[in-house]
Amino acid sequence: MSDFFAHSMELLLPSIDGYILPLTKATAITLSLALVSLVVGMFFAFIFTILEAVPFKPVAWLMLLFNLTIRALPELLIVVAIYTGLPLLLMALDDGFTIPLTSITIKMNIENTQPAPFLCGVFALSLLYAVYASQTLRGAFKAISSGQKQAAQVLGLSKSRTFFRIIMPQMWRHALPGLSNQWLILLKDTALVSAIAIDDLMMQTKTIVARTNQPFLWYFIAMIIYLVISVFSQKVISRIEKRTTHFEPSVNSQ
Amino acid sequence: MSDNFIFYLKIILQGLPDTLSLSIFGILSAGILAIVFSCLLSLNSKLLTKTIRIYIIIFTGSPLLVQLFLIYYGPSQFGEFLSKYPAFYDFISSPWFCAYIALTLNSAAYTTQIFYGALKSIPQGQWQACSALGMNKRQTLKILMPYALKRALSTYSNEVVFVVKGTALASMIPVMDLMGYSNALNGEYYDFSIFVVAGLIYLLINGILSTIMRIIEKTALTFEN
Repeated sequence: MSDFFAHSMELLLPSIDGYILPLTKATAITLSLALVSLVVGMFFAFIFTILEAVPFKPVAWLMLLFNLTIRALPELLIVVAIYTGLPLLLMALDDGFTIPLTSITIKMNIENTQPAPFLCGVFALSLLYAVYASQTLRGAFKAISSGQKQAAQVLGLSKSRTFFRIIMPQMWRHALPGLSNQWLILLKDTALVSAIAIDDLMMQTKTIVARTNQPFLWYFIAMIIYLVISVFSQKVISRIEKRTTHFEPSVNSQ
Repeated sequence: MSDNFIFYLKIILQGLPDTLSLSIFGILSAGILAIVFSCLLSLNSKLLTKTIRIYIIIFTGSPLLVQLFLIYYGPSQFGEFLSKYPAFYDFISSPWFCAYIALTLNSAAYTTQIFYGALKSIPQGQWQACSALGMNKRQTLKILMPYALKRALSTYSNEVVFVVKGTALASMIPVMDLMGYSNALNGEYYDFSIFVVAGLIYLLINGILSTIMRIIEKTALTFEN
């Protein structure tokens, strides 16, 4: 057994120096991918929430179906399918096609039918985030009692003002736990984009492993980096949560 | 169009056994592990609690893909040492087995959180009632565990779906599951309908699984308020 440890130390110790820079760059790509997807995803989530609340029922049903479908499909399948499907869609648009049963022809001139993998990654990840986040937002919206809205109406506030100044600030408090949970999942899902040729942390680790032939060491380091990011975001999230609930009278103490 | 569809379907379905076996074995062993871990956590032993907590943080804090790669590719770094035991080395380097281990450990970490959370949310009075009847820890858990599991069922059914979705990652270490065959087909034909076919199969599996979970939930909670 001691022979095993001595041997493994010999394998592990050789210098890590040359790989710090590429790993840092790759971590930056992973983080920026996650952050951009978060922002875009929140935007999509709001749109989904609004669409689900449309009085015209078929739209709401379609959204529900869409929601259930995306949630039942593997994340990897969605990422790869978007990466394959988007160029095909753009190519079809470039060629021009006729919508069946009508005589409308859609034709656009698209010069680059192969969108950057980063864009495909953002699109897939933000879609995944939005599908779950829209559920959270809907729940948060329902959690605000209608008395708040009525009170604002009595005070003569306009509809948009009521939403942005009265309802939304209160929504965050209910939505934050769900949204932050989704953020942690999004962070872990970014690893999937290595399947579509984005040079993220996972891909970079693969490259380093191919060069150094030390898979255990480097995948372990990658895992530690992901862990540090997750734990750090958890810390930040719990601080934000503390701040948002600062003015809440605690229910338990009474 | 429909000819293509059936052609793709026939090829992709070859991956169904791997996806199903990974899902079923993964779900079952993760569930059992999670119950064991929840029991161990409720013993309130400092060392045990700390160990399990660290395990949970590691496996819920990092992507499943990294865990999968670490388990599958990692051991080859110690190849020289491991090749002294060829039977063992062969066994732990089979892709299916590695995917199974990774899925189980990953899902068990999440499931432990769910089960232990449910166990802790049982009203204090129940624990007190058990100790008033002179039960020891093992007997108490035997009474309260099924109760907690029933409470956890609705959250747990989400986790079950996550395991099925997680099996798709196994295609990145060469397990030929549904996703593996779809990727291979896509490399050859570059056609979007391949993913539609694969997606429909996954939808069907998850739909059936959710329905089963809902039925279990219904029967389990029949006599609860």
